Parts: sequence; structure tokens; C-alpha cells
Amino acid sequence: MLPLAVGGLLAYVCQPLVAALERFRLARGLVVALLVVATLVIGLLLLSRVRAALPAEIAALEMRVRAFHNINQKYRALMDLDDSLREGNRLYRFAGEDLDPLIDQVDRSIALTPEERARFLASRSESPDAGADPLIGYDLENQRTLETRGLTVVKPPRIPGGAGATQRTKGPLAVLGETLSTWIVAPAVFFFLLRDGSLIKRGFLRAVPNRLFEPTLAVLADLDRALGGYVRGIFLESCFLGVSLALLLRVLGVPVGWSILVGLVAGAANPVPYIGSAVALLGGLSFFVVADEVHPLLSAIRSENVAIWLVAGIALIEVLKNSVFEPFVLGESVDVHPLVILIGVLAGGLLFGLVGLLLALPTITIVKTLVASASHQLKAHRLI
Amino acid sequence: MRQFSIQGLREILLPRAKDPASPDRTAARARAAFGPLPLMTSRKHSDLAAFLGEVSLFADFSHWELGRLARNAHERTYRDGEYIYEEGRPGAALFLVRSGIVEITRRDPKGEEVPILALERPASFSEQAAIGTDFARWTSAVARGPVSLVALGKPDLDSLGRRFPLLANKVLSRLAQILVLRLEVLLETQLPPGGAQTSNDDAAK
Repeated sequence: MLPLAVGGLLAYVCQPLVAALERFRLARGLVVALLVVATLVIGLLLLSRVRAALPAEIAALEMRVRAFHNINQKYRALMDLDDSLREGNRLYRFAGEDLDPLIDQVDRSIALTPEERARFLASRSESPDAGADPLIGYDLENQRTLETRGLTVVKPPRIPGGAGATQRTKGPLAVLGETLSTWIVAPAVFFFLLRDGSLIKRGFLRAVPNRLFEPTLAVLADLDRALGGYVRGIFLESCFLGVSLALLLRVLGVPVGWSILVGLVAGAANPVPYIGSAVALLGGLSFFVVADEVHPLLSAIRSENVAIWLVAGIALIEVLKNSVFEPFVLGESVDVHPLVILIGVLAGGLLFGLVGLLLALPTITIVKTLVASASHQLKAHRLI
Repeated sequence: MRQFSIQGLREILLPRAKDPASPDRTAARARAAFGPLPLMTSRKHSDLAAFLGEVSLFADFSHWELGRLARNAHERTYRDGEYIYEEGRPGAALFLVRSGIVEITRRDPKGEEVPILALERPASFSEQAAIGTDFARWTSAVARGPVSLVALGKPDLDSLGRRFPLLANKVLSRLAQILVLRLEVLLETQLPPGGAQTSNDDAAK
């Protein structure tokens, strides 16, 4: 379902580009084929960039060691905890009972299992400067924290036939094949909708009874205008949000790869209201928690106040998006009450999960335009 | 306004064929008076682009331009007596007669339909609708015998304008010319020759 929707929506986004290229009397099939190739190349480039930003197995273990250490250090400093981790300042006395289980849960989820720790230590011992390795120190401190807190880390139980088990038993080629076979639909839908869109429309209109021919023509034009306006508007808005957030994170000292990854995910999540900015906030904060040192590009920003700058920057981008960019690119294509949007998105998410969340707004736009335009046309033609 | 009902919906979606045995004298007259049978013409001119080239509206259009237009056009077929459009209702397409006879009618003050003229291949009608003026049609068009039409909708012209603005501009200027010609003819039939001059003279006096 998702590849179908992605292919279809991308076809809508690219329609004006195809129209512009057709003005040079290039064959539509050729233009669309070039677009498919260009989209695939851009997609693969972005994928490779994202893959490069994702840590490998040992790097992921190192990241977890660093995250565990930094989270506990920051919690300890905030609550002014003693060595027993049971006594702290007023804040700890007020909220410690509620926060401790939360920290325990986070610790359990990111702490290394004995097997993972063995692999991590083996990898560090091979390093030439193993003696002065801060990560080894972090690991020792983490073990002490686990003992003091009385936490034991066990391997997560393997569910027979579960998703994780299936992924593990499959080789990388099988996983790649499965992904390709699912997503091959997207470029196919993209290609055929762009190349034969008018043929499909004419085929549909051929099946329409003569009395409904002209009303249907007008309704289809209204639908095309509304959906095209929404999809192209939301695409531009997502690009704006993704680029702005990536730039913000880069200015705050987040590495390029991580900034692009967070920008991409935030942009892709933008069709679901507020989720794009939430993703960026979570991504940025996670980085600041994990990173030992942050080097912001502006001298006014320091590592102690970088989180405040992040929240302020995201709030500013969200305000700009809602008050300046959204009215400009979306116009009145989604002239629906915010409550309807909220209920629609929640219902879509509950019924169809991620696909429902992403497609809730386009569906609301289609249904609203269809009902309004069809009733107007049928009344004007005195058919109802 | 028509009452909305299941029966009404059924009539819209599944219109019943009229009794073929029923005598339709207007259709019979039209068939007798005008041209060849639809089947013969459709066999002779199977290519839609070639047919568009016959229409005076697109008379000097190049082969490439006609091909582009043909890709945006819709082929429709109508049974004897079927309405192509009805008076008083809005329009969204211009029609070209590919085969058969189309009768243009208008209701008189008593509500009875009076035939105005009969159109045959390769006539065009309902040009205003393609230009997109928001209006209610002042005539009806009825198929007399089996009719095959080519429709060019306003949305199709809009889409053509986004991709090929020069071609769409050419079509729109032609449509405007046709409409001006029709208006001139209408004025000539309504006003006596020299009538305008007389009224000017009166005003001068």
C-alpha cells in the first residue's frame, strides 16, 4: 500500500515538471523515463548518505556505551546524587521516585549484554591507543552504575517466528530482494501514472454514462486541482522543513550525516501534523545526549545551552512553516477545520497505522472536494 | 428540481434504451436530409487526428498539433433521441460531430422544443463551454439517429495550456473567432439592415 501511495503522490508532484519539459516537444514517455531514472539516482544517493550516517555494529555498541554514560552522568549531576545513587537534592527528593524507574528502563534498554560487551571490549583492545581509551573508562563506570542500581542486563528473548528472528535468519541478499520486490511497485506506479495519466482518465470517462459526462469532467478537474495543489504544496513544505531542520542541527554542531538523516525523516513525517518537528527535536536531543562534545558553528551557542537553542530553533521553524510557508504553498487546497484534520489523522493511524497517518490528509482533501464538487455539479445539472 | 430517489439514480446510471420501434419523425427527416450513414463515415475516417483536421475550427493545424488535441479528446456515442446536453444547464465541453445528425433545439414560451438547426460532420457546437464562461446553455442538443461525437472539455484545454501554451492559445483564439462569427450572424438575423444607422440618426436628432 505504501509503495503504491508513494509512487502515486510522487507522480502528482512531478506533473508540472513533465509539462514544462513537454513544452520543448520532448516525447512524454522519454521525459517520464528520464524522471524515473533521476528519481531513482537521487533516492539511491540519499539512501547511501543515510546508510553512511547510520553506525555499523561496533560503532552502535560504542554509541550505546557513550549514551548510557552520558545519560547517567547528566541525571546524576542534575539530581546531585551521591555514590549510592539513593540520596540527592530537593529535586530528587521530589521527583526521584518517579524518575528512577524511568532511568532504570532506559539503562536496561541501552546497556550492553555480556556478549555485546565482550565484542565491544575485543574491538577496543585491538585499537593502538587502548590504554588511554575513554570508552573503556565509560564502560567501567557503566558497569558500576548497573551494580549500584541493581540492574541486570539479559539478552532480549527471541520470539520464534518473530520479525527479529526472521531478519536474523535471512541473509542480506534476501532482505534486499524482499525490499526491492515490495518497492519495485513505486517506480512502476510513478512511471505509468505520469505517462498514461490522461489515458487512464479518458478510459474512466468512457465508462461514464452520457448524462454524467460533463459533470464528471468538471468533478475530475476539481479533484485534480485540489489533490495536485495539496500534494505539491505538502511536498514543497516538507522540503522546506527538512532543509531548515537539517541546517539548524548543523549550525548547532550536529554532524552533516546525522543532520541530513534527521532532516529527511522529519521532512517525510511532515504530512502528519507536528510529527516532523517532533522527530527533529528527538533526533537533536538524542545526539546531544550521546555526544561527548558538541561544536556549534556559532560562538554564541555553547554546549551547555545547545538544547535550549534547539527547542527555540524548532519552535521558530514550526511558526514560520505554519504562518508563512503553509498559506503560501498550500493556499486553500486544505481548507478543513483543524479538528477534522486531527480526528482524521488519529482515525487513519488507528485503522491503518503508519500508512493511515500519512494518507489521512490527502484522503480528507479528496473526500471533501469530491463531495462538494459532485453535489454542486449534480445540482447544477439538475440530476439531484 | 428533480426529486432525488433510487429510481432517479437508476435512470441516471442505467438509462434504458428507447423503444427502437417507436417512430421518430424528426430523426427520420434528418437522416433522409443529411449525408451518409454513421457506420460508413466512421470506417472512412477512423483516425481521430485526421478527423480533427476536417473540422473548420482546426483547419490549418499541423499534424503534430492535431495529434496533441486528439490525445486530449473524448469519443462519445449517443443513441437516437438521447440528449447531448439540455437547455438551462451548465456546460464543460465543446462537441464535434463525427458521424450522424445532431439537432439543436430551444424551448418556446409554451415549453415545447423547437428545432433550430441540424448539424452533421464535421460541425462543432457548444464552443462557449470550452472557453469556460460560467453560463447556462440556452439550447439543447439531441442525437437524431446514432451519433458519434468528439468532446473537448474545458479541463482538457486547461491541461493542454499548461503543457503546450501556444497550441492552447491557438485553439482559444479560434474558439473566440467562431463565437464572434456566431454573434454577427445572430445580430444580422435579429436586426434589419440599416437598423443601427436609423437609431443613430434618431439619437443625433
